[in-house]
Amino acid sequence: MAEFAATIHVRPKAEVRDPQGEAITAALRSLGFDVAQVRTGKEFVVRFSAADETRAREAARTMGDQLLANPVIDDYAVELRAPARSVPR
Amino acid sequence: MKVAILLYPGTWSERDFAHAFGLLGIEHEIVWHADADLHGFDAAIVPGGFSYGDHLRAGAIAKLSPATRELRRAAADGMPILGSCNGFQILCEAGLLPGALVRNTHLEFRCDWVRMRVESEETPFTRGLGGELLRMPIAHGEGCWVADEDTLLRVESSGQVALRYVDERGTATPEANPNGSTANIAGLRNEAGNVLGLMPHPERCVEDLLGGTDGRRMLEGLGARTVIPA
Repeated sequence: MAEFAATIHVRPKAEVRDPQGEAITAALRSLGFDVAQVRTGKEFVVRFSAADETRAREAARTMGDQLLANPVIDDYAVELRAPARSVPR
Repeated sequence: MKVAILLYPGTWSERDFAHAFGLLGIEHEIVWHADADLHGFDAAIVPGGFSYGDHLRAGAIAKLSPATRELRRAAADGMPILGSCNGFQILCEAGLLPGALVRNTHLEFRCDWVRMRVESEETPFTRGLGGELLRMPIAHGEGCWVADEDTLLRVESSGQVALRYVDERGTATPEANPNGSTANIAGLRNEAGNVLGLMPHPERCVEDLLGGTDGRRMLEGLGARTVIPA
């Protein structure tokens, strides 16, 4: 088994309204920035073990599908890094 | 009739449901989610609250509970299941009801009374109430129901929209919608009709002292319609 770190970025789908993003847009405009749009999201950094890179990628996607993202409202992307030791604890 | 009221860590409305069923003379038991065995029960309630502190998404962690497997089995067997507030969120996360509940469009936690029109009688909780206006309390920050266009068309055309936010004249207006929910949807049923989810709290309006009794009309659908003076 090898150690991996996956960063899973979860964002509301383009067609789903993001009221937090809208509020942040207004706040950034109040600071004087010419902001067209803000979309919010969540980032999960997961350290885990897997047999190899293929399995690790599969595992990270399963985490996204089954828990970290809700397929009804969210899109997600996986960034995989190995070994995990290069990631600050 | 014996009703299981599921209790997750962070659930806060199980005792209100127990109180309501007590008033209605319906046998009930509060059941810890991890020990949930719904054999021997005739109906199940997934109450409101903040299961697992709403971490990740409302209902997202509760859906991994052993209780979800039991709810899925019982739902397939036709057991009446009612999810209110966080219970509705859990049922959507678990895939027992379509769509998802997201942050209210105005970003506020809303604690208020709302009116709903009963759009579907095809549930054990709304039978005989078709077209009626019900007034119930809400208390939530993530009650805006969303789905993709196909799902919305499907729930509308199949009569799965059970409850819609309306004004006092029974019209679905933006002002009557407390959270920005798509098409003013307040409650949904599954295709079979035995599972109902809604954001409002029927258990908190079962006696005049609490400001309303319309919740009783929904919950007594489970029992022998015991008549208790309001």
